[in-house]
Amino acid sequence: MKIVIPSNSPDMEGTVASKLGTAPYVLIIETDDMSFEVKDGPPQSSGTGAGVAVISLAVSLKADALIVGYVAPHIVNAMKKQSIDIVIGVSGPVSEVLSAYLDEPVDDSTEENTEQDETGSGQWKEAFKKGVGQFYNMLPRLLGVILLLGLFKSFVSQQVLLSLFSGSYLKDILIGAGLGSILVGNPINSYVIAESLLNSGVTQAGAMALMMTWVNVGIIQLPVEAQALGWRFALVRNITAFGVTIFLSIVFAVWQRGYI
Amino acid sequence: MIELALHIKRTIRSWIFPLVVGVVYAALYTYNSQSTVRAFDVSCSILKQMILPVCFVICMMTALNRVLSPAIVTRFLGQKTGIKGVLLSALAGILSMGPLYAWYPLFKSLKEQGASTFIIANFISCRSVKPVLFPVLFAYFGWDFTFLFVGICLVGALMTAYIVTFLSFYKVSRIV
Repeated sequence: MKIVIPSNSPDMEGTVASKLGTAPYVLIIETDDMSFEVKDGPPQSSGTGAGVAVISLAVSLKADALIVGYVAPHIVNAMKKQSIDIVIGVSGPVSEVLSAYLDEPVDDSTEENTEQDETGSGQWKEAFKKGVGQFYNMLPRLLGVILLLGLFKSFVSQQVLLSLFSGSYLKDILIGAGLGSILVGNPINSYVIAESLLNSGVTQAGAMALMMTWVNVGIIQLPVEAQALGWRFALVRNITAFGVTIFLSIVFAVWQRGYI
Repeated sequence: MIELALHIKRTIRSWIFPLVVGVVYAALYTYNSQSTVRAFDVSCSILKQMILPVCFVICMMTALNRVLSPAIVTRFLGQKTGIKGVLLSALAGILSMGPLYAWYPLFKSLKEQGASTFIIANFISCRSVKPVLFPVLFAYFGWDFTFLFVGICLVGALMTAYIVTFLSFYKVSRIV
């Protein structure tokens, strides 16, 4: 039997963590021979994802049970569906809690919580409220970004943008990718601009770079992406998408010129 | 009481950014009132265009909040989903409609439920392929360029998702 216990110490003498996401260590104990493996707990910066990381670990290891001080009822339900027994409301040294669990593995309080949650009638209503709440939290920044977009579209004309291109491969790719990163809107707008660019003598690689970054890179909407997924993710994803676009556009240009 | 104070503080903080943009509008209005009013009109039309996708996204989020659990998300969209996760996220990205910023709340929800960095990055990147716009692409650029463009977009999406996952690797995989 495999049991996962978040703990404050990398051995059996440490105490069981009160919450999934706050434990510096996670013990994976094989009760057949009482051997155990120690993993680092989720980093403090993980925020709400920390608890999920421990759950993910338990699911991927096909654990039979998870013992911790407290877990939200909906997670208890979800883990139960995965045939993972969740034991909550415990505290004290890992070795003692484990012995107690092995002597009496079914926890009545967990069953009670689970039943209460499953019989709740307003689960759809709750889910809708949660969805609207998640959207509402992002609304202020979203409004700010949309107002910024309006300013950009109104104050910078298409003629000014077209005049930036020169007809040289590398420069067109860089300017195309740069413009696509700033401009936002329906992809069809990028096709219209790209066609105008091609008619003005801009290279296909430059037009392609603009069309790719138009959807993949968003400098103006960066604050919203960062709020949703974190600054690290937002910056890394946008910079990577920009770099990949430049690279693939250069490959396209080289192929077009017959070097590949 | 403390929770209420924190809630008020968070709410005030979240409105700072749009308020700063509002101040920029006010300053620009004194410089060029016509363009500033036009900018506001453009913003309003963007907001109108967003209504339908936002309704769709909220419906999806409701369904996901009700049906999905962290364990299910971890199994299908987590770090060890393999080719199924790649295809599922690519398909979701290709079929998703409306502006990207309307989808961020959904990404946040998926992330909180255990979706991996790769899946979210792949979803976002695959949005550059839009089957409903293929006729426009054909008409403007011809078949050759369209096929090349779509192929390059899909390759680019995979490359981006892998690199983003690799660069986030330490933080993501510390526990796994």
